[in-house]
Amino acid sequence: MAAANIARSALRGLLRSSTTIRTPVVCRLSTVVLQQKFSTINAALKAYNTQYLQNGAQNISVRNYSGGPPLTLELIKSRVLLVLQLYDKINPEKLSVDCHFMNDLGLDSLDHVEVIMAMEDEFGFEIPDGDAERLVRPKDIIQYIADKEDIYE
Amino acid sequence: MSSGVTKQQVLSMYKLLLREAVKFPNYNFRSYALRRIRDGFKENKALTDLKQINQQYDFATENLNIIKRQVIVGDLYRTDKLVIENIQ
Repeated sequence: MAAANIARSALRGLLRSSTTIRTPVVCRLSTVVLQQKFSTINAALKAYNTQYLQNGAQNISVRNYSGGPPLTLELIKSRVLLVLQLYDKINPEKLSVDCHFMNDLGLDSLDHVEVIMAMEDEFGFEIPDGDAERLVRPKDIIQYIADKEDIYE
Repeated sequence: MSSGVTKQQVLSMYKLLLREAVKFPNYNFRSYALRRIRDGFKENKALTDLKQINQQYDFATENLNIIKRQVIVGDLYRTDKLVIENIQ
């Protein structure tokens, strides 16, 4: 009888110490610790960010790979004129927004194709031939790109 | 290309050739092709004889196909960039 009792209590002890009871507790404890750590890290990050973002002198350089600054008419104009100035057959002094590529700047139709190609490379989209032949002034190109990118005054 | 080649066709051929030629991975082939295309079109831009224009247009088409093939071949056998290409 006594031996049976001892055996039963031993079995009970075994059952109590078995992993099926302990593991959930351990797991829960570890997740709590993790969550606490996570929140402290988050708080630290937030504090760091506010400290550095409010401080104007220390600029964090953030690089957005997903897109550049939003285009404006002014920006388009300066980029178009820059591309034209860098084209070796155009005299930068004669260049203005209203001058005609063929009549004023002395380009031929082949040069005009190259100008349009340079614009395609600069702004990253293709200009169909039918549209390209109408773009005979820098003004037209600026307007065309603004229309394409949905930019208004 | 038996009948007349329009101005638009010639210009778009010019564009196609230039667009294809910049794809050459090899600096020397690329710069030669670009120079040759520009010179070829400049040289013949005053042509008025329809037969000659057609002939030149066919020549350009042929060369466009050559460039397309050679760009692929060049991609298969890439070499290091030249010193002059790594300016930046």
